Amino acid sequence: MKKYICLICGYIYDESMGVPEEDISPVTKWLDIPSDWICPLCGAPKSDFAEIEANDNLKTRVTPNQGSRASETSALSFAKMSVLCSNLSKGCEKQYRSKESDLFSQLSDYFKTKSSLTKDKGFADLSNLITQDLSMSYTNANSIAKAENDRGALRVLVWSEKVTKMLISILQQYEKKKNALLENKNVYVCEICGFVYMGDFPLELCPVCKVPKMKLAQVKRG
Amino acid sequence: MYAVRNIRLCTKDCLCLYVCPTGATDTENGQIDAETCLSGCRACVDACPSHAISLVPEKYPPQQEKSDAVKKALHALLISKTEQEKISSGIAETSDDPILRQLAEAISTSNRLMAEDLLREAGYMLPQSKNVQDFLQSLLDEEQPEDFPTEVVEKLLNILKSND
Repeated sequence: MKKYICLICGYIYDESMGVPEEDISPVTKWLDIPSDWICPLCGAPKSDFAEIEANDNLKTRVTPNQGSRASETSALSFAKMSVLCSNLSKGCEKQYRSKESDLFSQLSDYFKTKSSLTKDKGFADLSNLITQDLSMSYTNANSIAKAENDRGALRVLVWSEKVTKMLISILQQYEKKKNALLENKNVYVCEICGFVYMGDFPLELCPVCKVPKMKLAQVKRG
Repeated sequence: MYAVRNIRLCTKDCLCLYVCPTGATDTENGQIDAETCLSGCRACVDACPSHAISLVPEKYPPQQEKSDAVKKALHALLISKTEQEKISSGIAETSDDPILRQLAEAISTSNRLMAEDLLREAGYMLPQSKNVQDFLQSLLDEEQPEDFPTEVVEKLLNILKSND
């Protein structure tokens, strides 16, 4: 009997246990589970599970290295300054400094208006950037953060890598199902780590950062 | 250390009003008056049955030092997330399809949140840090567009005192 782990949220499918709540009886082989089955915890597709070997190591998945790094333009630095200021606005809010929070928020909005949107690009361009993040940037950043023993950096890399894997899996599902993917489903974004979830109701906890559901904000259709 | 109240958790048991020696907890806006709050007193923190009051330090310890290698590695991801935010915002603004717009908006928000978090760990955790002061000062020193809100930056530099 084998075990498989969801690479997004860590849910483990154990062949010996099955998923009784979903009428998947014990001793159901992984291969016999339909390909459109999704993770009971976070909704990730079956393809985002990896086998856990007897020695608890994951069988590694090889992701192709493709796409080119976007060039850094001046418009992008306005975008970065906008991100920096919205981050600092939240930092002030957490310290109950509402006046400072408001001022940083004004700066963030200002820089956002100065940063031009990237138009005429689509989900394929997003997928290329994400593939590059997952195949190269995270591996590189993780090994550096480990070498420097930087716990904070390791924490953000774990969270955002999981969120990024969820995004690529959503893009892949959308590619196949198009708008049917979101039929009768709500969309939620975790305000803390950015995890995106599609479902009827928000989850009790964010599967990535474990924040309670009051921080899972619904993205309305309009 | 002065006391702050989390309105989300406050269940209006009002024990803070009863124990506060100065009346700092008795305000119209639901916040505790920092001027009259006695530093380090914590009578209200211990009395609150809903754990809605906590102490906030006046001065935070300096941020953890970040190495150049870590900053550079996080920066590479930051650039990618920012570009992804811009691409998905572009889709969300220009598409005629409401479902595509909804999905693109969620992806855009997700990327903004990841980018903020990456910057936090790349040395911009605390608004009072020297990094932030230097950033604000550089905005005043460098040439900016005509409509740049200089007064907002000046106000921030005036209120936020460096902890480094």
